[in-house]
Amino acid sequence: MHLLRLILKELGHRKFNAFLAAAAVTLTVFLFVGFTSMGRASDRETTRLMRDLGFNLRIIPAATDEAVFWKQGYATETMPADYVNKFMNQKGISYRHLLATLQRTLPVGGVDVLLTGIAPEVSPLETAKKPMVFEIEPGNLYLGFHVARHLNKAKGDTLELGGETFTVATVLSEKGSEDDIRIQGRLDDVQRILNMEGRINEIQALECLCRDPNVDSLDTLRAELTKILPDAKVIMLRDIAKTRERQRITNEKYFAISMQIVLLVCAVWLAVLAFLNVRERKSEIGVLRALGYGTGQIVLLVLGKGLAIGLLGAALGFAAATAVVLTYGPAIFEVTAGSIAIEWPLLVQALILAPLLTACCSMIPAVYAATQDPAETLREL
Amino acid sequence: MLTFDNVSKHYKTADGTVKALDAFSLTIDSGAFAVIKGPSGCGKSTLLLQAGGMLRPTEGTVSVNGQDLYALNNRARGDFRREHIGFVFQMFHLLPYLTVRENALLSAPTKSTEVDALLERLGLSERQHHLPSALSAGEKQRTAIARALLPEPALVLADEPTGNLDPENAALVMQYLADYQQAGGTVVLVTHGTDGDQFATRSINLRGGTLETDRHAP
Repeated sequence: MHLLRLILKELGHRKFNAFLAAAAVTLTVFLFVGFTSMGRASDRETTRLMRDLGFNLRIIPAATDEAVFWKQGYATETMPADYVNKFMNQKGISYRHLLATLQRTLPVGGVDVLLTGIAPEVSPLETAKKPMVFEIEPGNLYLGFHVARHLNKAKGDTLELGGETFTVATVLSEKGSEDDIRIQGRLDDVQRILNMEGRINEIQALECLCRDPNVDSLDTLRAELTKILPDAKVIMLRDIAKTRERQRITNEKYFAISMQIVLLVCAVWLAVLAFLNVRERKSEIGVLRALGYGTGQIVLLVLGKGLAIGLLGAALGFAAATAVVLTYGPAIFEVTAGSIAIEWPLLVQALILAPLLTACCSMIPAVYAATQDPAETLREL
Repeated sequence: MLTFDNVSKHYKTADGTVKALDAFSLTIDSGAFAVIKGPSGCGKSTLLLQAGGMLRPTEGTVSVNGQDLYALNNRARGDFRREHIGFVFQMFHLLPYLTVRENALLSAPTKSTEVDALLERLGLSERQHHLPSALSAGEKQRTAIARALLPEPALVLADEPTGNLDPENAALVMQYLADYQQAGGTVVLVTHGTDGDQFATRSINLRGGTLETDRHAP
């Protein structure tokens, strides 16, 4: 009798054993296809959402020496304050927030403080977002924690700067950063204090994008900005890029570890089932040996069963996982729902890898079956 | 046909070495119906397994039709066994997921025409599509005999084939084996009972792994 027929007959006879083995493979393939499909959908969704978040940019004067900029925290050079308006009116670029600032180090009461003028935050008219930072009223100052303590100032006190008297609107709580030695005021107030009317030294553009949905390149954005702000250069805040990278690595680690655990559990499960099956078939294998079936045929009999179960489990697991992904994926990943589709390459992978897994798990029981001394087996019968 | 030449088989156990067969020599001619008897542990099953090429002797040679079985490698010995030797076991050992017909064909997959005549002769035509679980003990043993006889082997080795049968079925089984021997085959029957005595052309008694008596029928 043909070996394939023997394998299929045996599978049909010991249905429970076959069911358990097929269930193990189905579950593994289900998890593999489900994790992979959902993982890819999640990646697409995240990429799209991150793309929609856009870049966080710092725009500083073109002549700025980066070494000084990073050391002191602001550009020594300045640029025209109306660059903000130019940015606002540029049609090819979208953004969520624009913030123009002017910063300088200034001795106040015997200590150097960071004096920062902040323009009222600009948002696109069509969105009218809430300001991301507080808006300072004219004539008011916000004092950092250490500055206020050094100058012995509290909320409601006055402070003289550049010959003008300002009211301390707020003393900020301790931040543990340079904000503790910062005095913040309205941009035009600070420009007057520093005698730098109409000048700024930084624009922060948050969630900034090219309007063309097909373009998501920082280089393109930089080129666009350089055209409208020729005396400025663009630096990207690293947070988003880092977050993207961190999230990608976290997802990959999670997937890799989860799949390793699933594969290990499945492999042990399959190996135990295959071994129990071989023990149960001891007499059968002994008789086949007595009838002249060789070692290779016995190995093929056990391995072939593993391969058949692997193929069946791969098909079932793929179908089940795809059904779940297509049913629930669009509800989870709403933005990129349209791109959730049947991942046919995963079917090919499953049809190759699952039978390989089951064959590997059947290998030891197969060798055990083939090396059983038929005389020993038949003597016990 | 079947020759044991100074064959010994020793097993090592916790209590020392057990000599299942000890310098045992025997020749059974072609066309014989040899009945081998003896108390438990006398070496009957060892002799049968060695005759089937399933148990390598510690010393000596076992030949079937002039071929030293253990001079062959495993694969060649398997092929030789399939062509020349048939087995019948006490416990039938049918594959539970194959029908009567499929079990019979297991020993000679290409003989799908001959199997019908054989099943007819053994009274199994009506049951040929049944699984072993649906058969009586006698039908199971007749199926096992069909499996052993289908390749038309030169030698049939039967190990207590009537041990699980009622007298009527036991007689039937013995008659089939005798018919096969009458048609030119050689049968070696290991038994405790007297079922095969009337057909025996050779009666052999073993004791302690050696030949105790060896009588040829007149």
